[in-house]
Parts: sequence; C-alpha cells; structure tokens
Amino acid sequence: MIEVNEQVYAPAAPQTVWDLLSNPQAVVSCVPGASLGEHHDDGSFDAGIIVKFGPAKVAFKARIGLELDASTMTGKVSSRGKDNQGGTRFNASMTFHVSPQTEPPGSTIDFKAEVEISGRLSSVVEAGANMVVKKMTADFSERLAAHFAQPATS
Amino acid sequence: MKVYQRMARAFRAEGITHTFGIMGDGNMYWLNEMIKLGATDVEVRHEGAGLGMADGWARATRQPACATATCGPGVSQLATALITASRASSPVVAFCGEHPTNDDEYNQRMEQAPFAAACETQFVRVATADAADDAVRKAFYLAKINSKPVMLSAPMDVQQQEFEDDDDYVTSATLMPSRQVRPDPDVLERAADMLCKAKHPIILVGRGAMWAGAGDAIKKLAERSGALIITTLMAKTWLSEDDFHLGVSGTYATKTAMELCEESDCVVAVGASLNRYTTEHGYLYANAKFIHIDAKQHVMIHGVRAADIYMQADARIGTEALEGVLAKRSFKQTGYRTGEVRERLGNAWEDRHEYKIEAGTADPREVVLALDEVVPENISLYTGSGHTAGFSNILFRRRRDVVMPGHFYGCIGQMMPAAIGAVMARGNKPAMLVDGEASTMMHLNEFDTMVRHKVPLLMVVQNNEMLGAEYYKLDAHKMNAATSMIPSPDLGAVARGYGGRGVMAKSVEDVRKAAAEWVAKPGPMLIDVRISHDVVSLPYRRIHYGLDE
Repeated sequence: MIEVNEQVYAPAAPQTVWDLLSNPQAVVSCVPGASLGEHHDDGSFDAGIIVKFGPAKVAFKARIGLELDASTMTGKVSSRGKDNQGGTRFNASMTFHVSPQTEPPGSTIDFKAEVEISGRLSSVVEAGANMVVKKMTADFSERLAAHFAQPATS
Repeated sequence: MKVYQRMARAFRAEGITHTFGIMGDGNMYWLNEMIKLGATDVEVRHEGAGLGMADGWARATRQPACATATCGPGVSQLATALITASRASSPVVAFCGEHPTNDDEYNQRMEQAPFAAACETQFVRVATADAADDAVRKAFYLAKINSKPVMLSAPMDVQQQEFEDDDDYVTSATLMPSRQVRPDPDVLERAADMLCKAKHPIILVGRGAMWAGAGDAIKKLAERSGALIITTLMAKTWLSEDDFHLGVSGTYATKTAMELCEESDCVVAVGASLNRYTTEHGYLYANAKFIHIDAKQHVMIHGVRAADIYMQADARIGTEALEGVLAKRSFKQTGYRTGEVRERLGNAWEDRHEYKIEAGTADPREVVLALDEVVPENISLYTGSGHTAGFSNILFRRRRDVVMPGHFYGCIGQMMPAAIGAVMARGNKPAMLVDGEASTMMHLNEFDTMVRHKVPLLMVVQNNEMLGAEYYKLDAHKMNAATSMIPSPDLGAVARGYGGRGVMAKSVEDVRKAAAEWVAKPGPMLIDVRISHDVVSLPYRRIHYGLDE
C-alpha cells in the first residue's frame, strides 16, 4: 500500500482552487500523462494515464468516481483500473480539502491518498512504485501551482 | 563383478571423466572403482558444491556431468544445487547411495525419490542387480533428452550384489533421436509477412540460439530485416560484435536499450524462453508483436501469453529459413539500423549517476570497467548473483569465449562451484568470477578444492560487508538497513591460508595491479575488493528507488 500525505500551496483564493479541483477536465490537465475519457450516467468517468516506472512506460485505464462537498470544499476521488496488458491492477482513493491560507496569501490543499498496485508490475517496481507515485504527486502540485501562477504573471 | 563395478564401467562408457562430490559409505565402492578406471575424483568440501561443479561442467559442455553423494545426509545437502541445475537445464547425473533395502532402521535412511521430485530432479533407482545397466542408461538418456539433472539412487546392498552379464555396456547414445525440427512452411510465410511489415524489429536471442549455432543466421536476418540484436542475460555479449547490439534485455538492460525495446513493433525471439525477467513481464516490449522460434513444442511468454506467431524449429534452421523467405521476396530494409540509433547506442553503457565514494573503498562500477580492460578476452567470465550482479551483468561488455551469468534459482552461493566445474570442463583454462562476498563465503571452503586441483580461477569479490539486495530494499522501505550489514574477514588472507594467492584491494588501482599479476601468472587467486556502500546498481535504482538511470 502506497500512502501519500501532501500539503500543496496554490496562489489563488479557495473558491478559485475549488472550482478547478471540481472540474475533472482541469484536474486531468494537471496530471502528467493523463487523459480524460467518456463520462458515465452515474457521474463516474473514464481516464487514462501513462506512468513511467524507470525507463518503461505503462499505460493504465481507469474508472474514476468523484464526490464533492462544496460546503466544506472537500472531495473524494476513487479510481480503479488496469494496465493495457491486463497484468497489473490498481485501486486508489484520495481525499482533498481546500482551505484559506494567509501567508503567503492563497489556499492550502491537503491531499491524502492510498494506492494499491497488484499483479505482475508490482514485482518489477517494488518500493520504486512508492517513489514514482510521490513524484507524480509532486509534479501534480507543481502544475497546479503553475496553473494559478499564470494569470498573475500575464 | 559387483553391481557397483559394473555401474562404474557404465559411467565411464557414457563419457564421464570427472566426478564431483564427497566419498561416503553409500558411494565409496563405486567411486573407488571409477578412480581405478581412470576417472578424476574431485573431492569437495560440501556435496552441494560438488553438484554445483557438475552443473557448471554441464553448462560449459552441454554434455552430461557427474556428481556424487552418499545416502541420506549426503543427498539432502544437494537441494539448492539440484534446483539450480534444473533451472539451468543442466544434464547432470548424480550417483547417490541409498540406504540398504533390507534395513528400514538404517541411521542414514531417507526417502530420496520425493526429495528428488521436490528438487525438480528426475529419479532412477537401481532396483535390482540385473537392472544396473538399464538404470545407468536411462539416467543418462533422461539427463540429455530433458536437459535436467537425474538422481541415480543405488541402494547399498544392491551395489554389493553380483552382476552376472559380461556383455559390453550399451550407451544411452543409442537411444537418442537424431532429428532436427524444421519449420512449418505456412507458419514461416506468416512470420515473414509480419517481419516485413515491421519498421522497428528486434531479434532477441537466448542460449538456445547459441547452442544451435544460429549466430551467422541471426546476423544475416538482422541485416536483411533492419533489426537490432539483443540477448537474454544467459547469452550476454553473444553477437556483440554487431554495431546494432543492445546488450541484455530486461532487468540488466541499459536505459537506451529499454527505450529502443519500447519503440519496437516486432520481436523475433530465437532460442529464448522469454521469461518475466527478459521481458519485464511484457512491459519492455509493450508495443511489439512476437515471432518466437524455438525447438520446443511451444513456449509461453513470461508464463502468461503466447507469441503472435510461434514457429517450432531448431533455432539455426528456423532463422535461416526466415531469412531465406525474405531473400526470396527480395526484401531488405534499413529498419531500426539507422545512424540515429547507432548514435544513441554510442554512450548507452555510460553510468552517469554520481555517488560519493567512502575513503578506503572503490566504486564497484569502476572495478568492473577496470577488470574488463585488464583481463584479456581469451579469459572466460562468470558472474554471480545478488546486488553486485547489477554492476557485472551490465558493465562487462567484452566478448569472451565464455560469459556465464548465474541467477537460475535466484540464490547466492552457486556461482563459485559452477565456475570451478566449468573451468575444469574447459581443461583448466584461466577464467574470472566476479561475485559478492555473502555469495562467495557460502562455499569459500571450495577454494581448497581449487588449490588441490590447481584451478586457475580469479575470484573477484565485490565486498561491501552486507547483504546488498536486502540492504537497499530495507533502505527504500525506510527500515533499519544496518541489520543487513555483516563484517567480513580479510578474504585475501583466507585464500592465502588455503594455499592460494589472495589480496585485499581498497581502490581501483589495487584491483588493476592484482588482476594484472594474475593475468601474468594465472592460478587460484582471490581479490577481496572493498566497495562503497553508497553505489546502488542500475536495476536496484529502478526497482527500489523509482529512478531511470
């Protein structure tokens, strides 16, 4: 089980950050290698992501569910999927919460995630998967910060 | 004539010149007769090491080799070595004593048949005196036809019975089929269709292709189809004279090789089992279709899928036939053999990751590069297992007569015996073994065997005084890695104590000097190289730290 506990600073007001995080299209644009697929009637949607484990790239397909509570600015993302060869499966759940931050002014986003990888790939990547997931989280944070920084600098 | 005497004659008739093992009351009469008949008895210090030496002999010659152990406790020492020999496809016949059939309370009794089965070893019992010839013949037949070890179990009382027949022994060679598997013409055409459509083909070659003498055919097919060449670990450096050779596929691949594999759209695998380590569970060739040429009826790729086209054929005949069909179609393309790829391969083996090296230690990567330079290419190379294999199995690049990696059973300790056996099989031609210290110390008492038999093996021990594989796993999991650290004595001094030569090296220059001295005067020698704790091998960087170089 890979656990992620990250706190990310976003240089924007909480409502602006919440609006972005509530929009799957915008969130996916902040995840390197991710793409959005079809939306389903139950509110879930398909997504794809290419993950780089060492020099090898592995393409995963996932079904993602999103539950949002605008009153508390809290969201819950659940996803499960498998790679395009079908030999590796993953199951992930993540919660996020947006809160105001005074110094520097903007918002804090608290992420908590648990990712479980099973099947063939798990023996290839072992502890390295932990590092890969953490790097993806860092990349996501960076892109998120850059997303909000852009209007300010333009 | 006693049964044990007849059996010794049969072993000699089967071509056995050396026996590897320890004498005990279950095998000593037979062994005594073997010596009387001119065989060399290599008395070892552990039965498992003796079987490991026979395994090395078989790997080097592709001919049956002979190990021996006494009944019960002698046999139970063979477990790890038997499984290793089985995984290495080594035709080893182990003459094992068995407790007397008329004494169920015998102190050294043991159920040897189920033990052999658990060790992936075929089992033949000499049930009666009359069946002695049949049992030996069957044992050698099974060893050769299945390329697996066989335990020939001879009850002590049966060995002492009279063998009445004085006809000449008929060898197992009379039982062996003499046929080569030729490809099905339809399958051949379909394989050619697929290969002609490929823009980025790769030919992946394994030991089966080496053994079949398919080298020239593979190079011709690569030229014609525009394919790069890559090997399994067990065929390391084979055909590396080709400009478009990627090295080893899988765990020990360079970053450049992995990227090129990933971009490949067609793999022609020849004489390779395509296990999970070679293909990284298939992820290494995620975009490729597979054409698989092998003499076996069928082979599953990494145990879960079949090739898109499976062509049952002798590796050489199948490859020649495929190249022939392409030639008939006047097909020839540049494919993957471009200037751009050649340029990418130019610095593919450079390990650019920088580490701070502790004082009094050497960088294990530089140790390998120095050895590859100082030790000439007519010296064979054997590489061990564990973390330090990650340096040897990538960075040794020189083409040598024999390059033999281990890893068949994922265990440590098996390569020293295998190297000793292989060197003896090759008429005591000098060779070099590079392994870690935990692996070396498991059978270091066999240095005594090396000295007694004047085996000219240079043992280079990459010694970081820890169980490296465990150390880095624990470290990556943020656990107490220090629990895997074990201080080791001066192994050079131990080697000198056994009557050989030995030194401790604390720098690459020390290694160069000692290796050059050995090259000038080969003999049993050990270099205990103290290496940095901090340098992580490339495979471990990927697996445990999520890095790509």
